[in-house]
Amino acid sequence: MKVKTIGYFFKQALKSILRNFWMSFASVATVAVSLIILGAFILLTANTSYIAHEVEQDVEIAVFLYVDTPEDEVKALGDELQDIPGVASVELVPKEEGLRQLSRQFGEEHDLVSALGGKNPLPDYYIVKAEEPQKVSLIVKEIEKLPHVEKVNYGQGVVEKLFSITRWIRIGGIVTVAVLAACTVFLIAVTIRLTIYARRKEVNIMKSVGATNWFIRWPFLLEGIFLGFFGALIASIVLYFSYILLIDKITAAFSFLPVQRDLSVLKNMVLVVLPTGPLIGFLGSLLSLQRYLKI
Amino acid sequence: MIKLLNVSKIYPNGVRALQDISLTIEKGEFVFLVGPSGAGKSTLIKLLFREEKPTYGQILIAGKNIARLKKSQVPILRRNIGVVFQDFRLLEDRTAFENVSFAMEVLEHPKKEIQQRVHHVLNMVGLKDRMNYYPHQLSGGEQQRVAIARAIVNRPHILVEDEPTGNLDPETSKEILKLLIDINRSGTTVIMATHEWSLVNRTNNRVITLDKGKLVRDGEKVLFAYEG
Repeated sequence: MKVKTIGYFFKQALKSILRNFWMSFASVATVAVSLIILGAFILLTANTSYIAHEVEQDVEIAVFLYVDTPEDEVKALGDELQDIPGVASVELVPKEEGLRQLSRQFGEEHDLVSALGGKNPLPDYYIVKAEEPQKVSLIVKEIEKLPHVEKVNYGQGVVEKLFSITRWIRIGGIVTVAVLAACTVFLIAVTIRLTIYARRKEVNIMKSVGATNWFIRWPFLLEGIFLGFFGALIASIVLYFSYILLIDKITAAFSFLPVQRDLSVLKNMVLVVLPTGPLIGFLGSLLSLQRYLKI
Repeated sequence: MIKLLNVSKIYPNGVRALQDISLTIEKGEFVFLVGPSGAGKSTLIKLLFREEKPTYGQILIAGKNIARLKKSQVPILRRNIGVVFQDFRLLEDRTAFENVSFAMEVLEHPKKEIQQRVHHVLNMVGLKDRMNYYPHQLSGGEQQRVAIARAIVNRPHILVEDEPTGNLDPETSKEILKLLIDINRSGTTVIMATHEWSLVNRTNNRVITLDKGKLVRDGEKVLFAYEG
């Protein structure tokens, strides 16, 4: 294939796109919408799994002791906790500190301390951090064997829930995107069919003078690829800037939410979205050529 | 050389377009294909450039059975057969020159060669002064000449015409025939389907007569009145 020929294919493809301007426009828009949804799902799953990981990293084990545990026993327990394999740090929260935290949570206007009649009903508790999130359940088992331990609290289920949410978003995303992709392929096939119809005379002449099948096919395939590419380009740009704008707003409004500020997540999204557009366009053209271009 | 061996064509709708046709056309011959409409002339032409495949029988062109040709080989066959269609099939949005050059461009010939050869053939068919005219600015005979120029510009060994003079007045038909005879003299095998006996009788060429899909006569010179 000669360089000049490739130029000819490009020219024919672009000419057809302009000739069926509104149909091309609709195809590009559909590709863009589908890919924006695809990209949005990618960003969403990236963020929920990121949040899940963050939460997992942060899991603390709260070890509540019986209220009547003597002070020296409390201290001894701290050493024992430290000795459990996999424990990263142990921190004692004395009952006085616990009460202060609690009254802060209730708010300044409630005088919790006086409401309790000057007594502190809270136990001492330890905050234990694990070296690795996977070791949490093992550590918890060890702690439960120790004396004076009334109750052990850790983020039971929260992490699991987050991961299962991520999984469902992913499944939902795949299904939605697959359906949309099928619709998009179909719409591109219709657009290419219009082009085949508009150029049927040329195609007939090309066939009768002996142009090769691929010479006849390429402009149509390129047209589909272009439509897909333009759609993907629009989708990438829209997603890119919306995400940057959105994470700024989210971090401003919900500072506790750990969102992916890291732009590598955007790069990964673009790496998926940008080639998917041309692929969809290629498949659409191929579908139409199979059915309507009898060579 | 073209050789048909017991060729039959039955279309999917059941029409028997051709029945058991056997004939040989030598290289460099000028052959008329005559018969009333529906006799199978167009089908025979379509079989020659593999627009259709025969239902039974073999068609040998240069020793190859073209019914068995692989898909990828079909374009190579067609480059050796120039076809002029009854309805000319010119592209309305291109000039005479561009219509002819299109046939070379799609075969990826170099630009310079295209320029030279298109000028040459348009000159040969007598359209030297009209090459920048669009089809609607040309008369029927001139459009026909453009179609012929396009069919021969890639220098095929065989030129096939389906009723090339069908819509032309007798004077123009005569001129077209003269042009085809010139092309034949330069070594190209010419097969011309027509139902105009006046044209056929003008020359001493071989006439193959079809009727209802059957070969009814294959002879040098025929001299009888056309009843239709």
